Amino acid sequence: MSDRLLGIVPFLIALGFFLQGCGLVFDAVELVHPLVRDELSAICSRGQFRVGISVEPFRPFVFPAVFTDEGVRVTGLDVELIREVADALTTYCGGQKPIVPTLHLTRFRDLFIEMNEGHLDLFVSSIGGNVPGARPAGLWYSIPYFHNGGIGAMIQKPEVAERVRAQFQNQAGKFDTLAAIQAGLSGLTVAAQKGRTSHLYAEANLKNIRLLICDSLPAAVETKDPRIDVILSKHSILDYVTKHVWPDWHLLTRNDGTPLILTQEYFSIVTVEENRRLQWFLNNLLYRLEESGRLEHMRRRWLEEDYAPTRRAATEGLPFEISKVPEHYDQGQCRFATGR
Amino acid sequence: MKSRAVLFISLSLVFFLAWSSIGWSQAPREEAETTAQHLATLLNVGRLIVDRNQTLINDPRKGDKGFTPEVFEHEVVDEFIRQTNIDLRHLPSNLPSLAKELLPVLLQSSKEVVADAQFVINQRGIGYKNFIPATFGSQAARKFSNRSQVKIKQTTLNPRNLKNTPDAYEEHVLKRLATQPASDTSITEWIDNETTLRALTPIYYSHDCLACHGNPRGILDISGYPREGAQEGDLAGAISIQIPMKNR
Repeated sequence: MSDRLLGIVPFLIALGFFLQGCGLVFDAVELVHPLVRDELSAICSRGQFRVGISVEPFRPFVFPAVFTDEGVRVTGLDVELIREVADALTTYCGGQKPIVPTLHLTRFRDLFIEMNEGHLDLFVSSIGGNVPGARPAGLWYSIPYFHNGGIGAMIQKPEVAERVRAQFQNQAGKFDTLAAIQAGLSGLTVAAQKGRTSHLYAEANLKNIRLLICDSLPAAVETKDPRIDVILSKHSILDYVTKHVWPDWHLLTRNDGTPLILTQEYFSIVTVEENRRLQWFLNNLLYRLEESGRLEHMRRRWLEEDYAPTRRAATEGLPFEISKVPEHYDQGQCRFATGR
Repeated sequence: MKSRAVLFISLSLVFFLAWSSIGWSQAPREEAETTAQHLATLLNVGRLIVDRNQTLINDPRKGDKGFTPEVFEHEVVDEFIRQTNIDLRHLPSNLPSLAKELLPVLLQSSKEVVADAQFVINQRGIGYKNFIPATFGSQAARKFSNRSQVKIKQTTLNPRNLKNTPDAYEEHVLKRLATQPASDTSITEWIDNETTLRALTPIYYSHDCLACHGNPRGILDISGYPREGAQEGDLAGAISIQIPMKNR
């Protein structure tokens, strides 16, 4: 037995020498031809990139999926931006074959998990990049593609608007929106979508409200019991839905009728922290789109023009992976926040 | 006696060959025409079933609508029997072989369209989803055409979807149909030296269609297209079928 062990020792020593050599060979090969490709090269070689989009609609950034002559499609400002990213990636990858975006419609709360698990290259879903608590660890946020946004509120009862406006009047020209909102909404039932920046804002700043956490904006609108006084969400989204989807709801405005923004917010494209080359690619693209006026054109097109989303879905919408979406998308429900 | 028998057999053979060659040249034509008629009926029945379930499909308060491909198939089969006396589950032996081959393909294509649309149909909180007879028909026709040498297309003189723009032949027939009283009869012709069957089955606007296609003309409908200002019974378009014979 001991003789056999004595025989193995020189073998192991020799193997150790060889393994050291292997490391050198590995490094040399990597210098000539990188074995681990960066994320952009991987996208070029796949011919597609995987984009997450929230299945909960955020009109006009993402409209609900509709059926068209071409099949099921989604459309909206975020979808047009994805097309721009696809065009830029096609050029980057040599232009020989188009780089196709593969859209994964996923529940908002799952986007972050999907991204961290490596199932997505990026996601675009009107994600606020500057609100405290909005950036989970390990994710990276691009420069803004939509920077004139913010959190707003919509109401049904005029008394709510009067309460808030009375607070502004009491300030006698010394503007303090936060103080007016805190006092004006005190004791009211306020709804926000779970995990969204409006939820974070309410948790951090509105201690004296009854906070209702909803799975989606439509769930908040549909809830009858308890009766919701105020729904918080992104101002640009509320501006759209109060005009086109839920005319019974009204934007909460300042006393002079100008938009009431509770806090400013900009929207970013999200990818993982390690994707450094993709991050520079996205930032450079967004900067170029901004300086060329293309982003401004997109913003005007979706937020200011009069259009039918279904028709735009038919002509410029993108298909998505049917197998990836929740089997029966349900807008969900609302429940009171706990531990406040 | 022997020569008379040889003559008789020869004449019989000539007569048989002549008769069978006439049969070979005519049977496929009739078969193709009957098949075109059944295919148009089946696509139209699919459109009708989608139309009948439109209120359910557009109900924003309901999540799972239960309008599954199987339910759709069941309703299509029943309606097809009602219209043609043909059971798609047990195709009769006297049905042309071309129809036996193609009707199941169109039924399967139609079911797949309903399956593809399940996510859209079952969204709760969303009313209008644009899953309507026209979009269903476009997709079912395209899926079918991709699987067969036979081409089906919905077409009209002023299409909302440019892919449904009529070709020269279709435009000619549609213009003719527009001036004639409404009729369920298909226009059938053999073209290209009798090698291709063209069949156009007219579709007329029903009362339900007018919510999007009626008056006031030019005002945008729910899907964002200008209304055509149509009246009930006006020609809406046609189901166009092309069956090539040379490759068969």
